Amino acid sequence: MLASFDTHIFWEALTSRPYWHGALLALELTLVSLAAACVIGFFLALGRSSRFRSVRGFVFFYSWIFRATPTLLQLLFIWNGLPQIWSTFANDWFKPFLAAFIALSLNEAAYMSEIIRAGLLSVDPGQELAGRALGMTRPRILRRVIVPQAIRIIIPPTGNEFITLLKLTSLAYVISLHELLTAAQVRGAADFHYAEAYSAAVIYYLVIVSVLMAIQAQLERRYTWSSAGRRRRVPVPAVAHDAR
Amino acid sequence: MNDVVLRAEEVRKSYDGLEVLRGVSIEVGRGEVKVIIGPSGSGKSTLLRCLALLEPVDSGSVHLDGHELSGLREKELAVHRSEVGMVFQRFNLFQNMTALANVMCGLVEVRGLKKREARERAREFLARVGLADKADSYPEELSGGQQQRVAIARALVMRPKAMLFDEPTSALDVELVREVLDVMEGLARDGMTMVVVSHELRFAHHVASSILMMDEGKVIEEAPPDRFFASPSHERTKRFLALVE
Repeated sequence: MLASFDTHIFWEALTSRPYWHGALLALELTLVSLAAACVIGFFLALGRSSRFRSVRGFVFFYSWIFRATPTLLQLLFIWNGLPQIWSTFANDWFKPFLAAFIALSLNEAAYMSEIIRAGLLSVDPGQELAGRALGMTRPRILRRVIVPQAIRIIIPPTGNEFITLLKLTSLAYVISLHELLTAAQVRGAADFHYAEAYSAAVIYYLVIVSVLMAIQAQLERRYTWSSAGRRRRVPVPAVAHDAR
Repeated sequence: MNDVVLRAEEVRKSYDGLEVLRGVSIEVGRGEVKVIIGPSGSGKSTLLRCLALLEPVDSGSVHLDGHELSGLREKELAVHRSEVGMVFQRFNLFQNMTALANVMCGLVEVRGLKKREARERAREFLARVGLADKADSYPEELSGGQQQRVAIARALVMRPKAMLFDEPTSALDVELVREVLDVMEGLARDGMTMVVVSHELRFAHHVASSILMMDEGKVIEEAPPDRFFASPSHERTKRFLALVE
């Protein structure tokens, strides 16, 4: 029984500025953190199979630190602790968004490196061998042959990471970043209509994740190498061979 | 003139303490076709990889067109690898590229050709292996025989000084073997210098200048096909031929 669900308040919250601002902020934070995590993770993944022991050791140490400790602790550490041990960060430009970006991308990189490594390893070694036999250098083989094929494997788990990260941005609430959950919390506390306030936030999260899923499906099709996978991109003329 | 294109001298190669090549020498003259046979584990594929400059040798030397290349470092080797065409048992076509893009790849990425020019030349070589109509197909959509022919075109388009084939038909269904052998016979007729690891004895008999028998990391016998098949001098060769035929 919807004893006291005020749809008016729900709609008002849904369309209010703090909500879509908060949602936009959460989305931005997710995207930049994930992008940075992919770049850092790529080099961590390469580092894991480096011939230098120190590089392999560093990668192990990195993912150990960031996976063994709570993300919330990392967030608080970067925001409150970092300025204390490194005075450069005890400055006005060190805003909650930047702190959250640093914490989330460093954290996420530890997970992405595993995903990217698995993707790189999934590519048949014969592909690299053929590239070398043609005279291609290793960076070129990576860029033209191995990475494109690894991406196909990497996309689905990265979609999962996007969703996880989007939800993790709500942790930035504790370092007073005015993201979506903050908006819902403030709206709910204003007149104790928590159900309406939280429901509106739920809608935003659902919409963002749905859009992501659609984009992911597109990307997966883009990285499928048979004309069947790309049929929509290559229209077949309607008359075909019937005219003969 | 029968000058030497590819030469290996006393090549030794070990993996994890296991000696796969124990002092192998081979000399391939221009336009010659050498077929290497031998039981698995005899070092045939390793020898081919050393000749293709894909594996550094432990000792001995590899020469291409009179230049010793076995001492060069990885970076300098890359360019020379493009001068030797290599065809693999499992084709190893780039899965993310169409047949045409596979053939273009070396021209663009290694030789630095403009895409338009590379595309034209790649089309010409696809036509040469009879696959002009498959230019836009991805490897996944081609039969094994077609994939191997694309792989041959990909190596040929670089205009290599020699072509190396590592069991090019042993991953193929029986009825697809012929189309690949036809292409290879055509190459031999056109005077391409070739080293072929294969157990297609009829092919060997037909096109080889000489046949090499390898066993336990050594070449134990080399002879022109007629003599090789009619009167093999080595006991091991006789036993092997009896098993293969």
